[in-house]
Amino acid sequence: MVVVVAGLLLMGKFRGKFTAGARTGPVAADKGSAAPDFVLSDLQGHTVKLSDLRGKAVVLNFWATWCPPCKAEIPWFIELQKRYGAQGLQVVGVSMDDGDQKDVEKFAAENSINYPVLFGKDSVADQYGGISYLPTTFYIDRNGVVLNRVFGQAGRDEIEQDVKRAIDSKAHS
Amino acid sequence: MKLSHSLASFLLLFCASAALAQGTSPSLSVAPIGTLVITRGGKAQLDIALQVNRGFHVNSNKPNDELLLPTVVHLNPPQGIMIVNIQYPAGEQLALPMIGNEKLSVYTGAFNVSAEVRIQKSVALGTQRVHGEVKYQACDNRQCFPPKTAPLEFDIKVVRPKVRKSTYTPASPHIR
Repeated sequence: MVVVVAGLLLMGKFRGKFTAGARTGPVAADKGSAAPDFVLSDLQGHTVKLSDLRGKAVVLNFWATWCPPCKAEIPWFIELQKRYGAQGLQVVGVSMDDGDQKDVEKFAAENSINYPVLFGKDSVADQYGGISYLPTTFYIDRNGVVLNRVFGQAGRDEIEQDVKRAIDSKAHS
Repeated sequence: MKLSHSLASFLLLFCASAALAQGTSPSLSVAPIGTLVITRGGKAQLDIALQVNRGFHVNSNKPNDELLLPTVVHLNPPQGIMIVNIQYPAGEQLALPMIGNEKLSVYTGAFNVSAEVRIQKSVALGTQRVHGEVKYQACDNRQCFPPKTAPLEFDIKVVRPKVRKSTYTPASPHIR
C-alpha cells in the first residue's frame, strides 16, 4: 500500500514536469486532417496564402537559420523542387527566426533557394501544433490534407518518398 | 494482494520511465551559486557551473557559424558592483554525419563560466543579490529547439576590509 501511495505521488510529480510546455488537447495538423490555412509574407514582401496552393503537392518546412539540421535538408528541398516542380510539387519554407530578417534573406540568396521562404509567426506555429522542434515538415496532398508530418531532420530518401506520395495524390475536382 | 503487487510494479515502472524521459528535455541547468564574501574595494572570482542534459548540445560562446546562437551569460549587478572578464570555455568540435562536413563548436555535459566580481569602495556593507540569465539554444543530432533562457542568481556579502595588524614594531623609546 505504501509503495502504491509513493508510486502515485511520484507519478503526479513526474507528470507535472512532463506536461509543462507539452502539447495538450488534440494535436493540430495531424495526419489526415486539413492543413490549417494561413497568410504569411515572403522575402519579397508578397503575401502567400497556403490555400492558394490547392491542387499542388506542398512540402511545408518550418526551419531557422540557427538550426544546422534544418540547413542540411535545404539542398535536398532545392533539388526536389527542381526535379518535381513540373509535376506539381511546391516546397514552402517557413522561417522561425526571431532575429534580423536580413539573415534569412542573405541565407536564401547565398544558397539559391528556389522556392518561397516565408517569415513565420507564432500564431501559425500554434496552428501547426506549436512547432516545438526544428526542422518540422508537413507533407500536404493536392487537396490540402496532411499526409505526413516529420519532426527533426529526415534522410534524403525519406523526404523524396513523402514528396512522391504527395505528388501522386489526386486533386478532387 | 497479487493485484496490488502488480499495480505497484506498474507504477514503479511508470515512474522509472518518467524519470528517465525527463532527461530527454533539452534543458541547461545552473547549479546553485554560493554567497561570495568580498571585502569593500576587493574582488573575487565567480564560478557558474552549467549542465546540459545528456544527448543534447548547446552552441559554445563562439560558434563556428555566425548564424548560430551563442551561449551567453548576462549578469545585472547592483550599483557599485562590477562583473568583468567573463570567461567561457572553448567549445568541443562536434561533427554530425547528418549535417555533412560542418563541425559545430558546442558544449555538452558539465561546463563552467567564470568572471571577476569587483566591489567599489563606496558600496554599502551587507548582502546584495545579483540576478542574471544564461541564454542558450540546444539541439540534438536531428533537431534543434527554440532559444531559451535559464535564470540565475547569487548573493554577494560585502564586508569591511580586515584591519591588518601592523608589522611595524616601534623602537624602544629608550633607544636613541
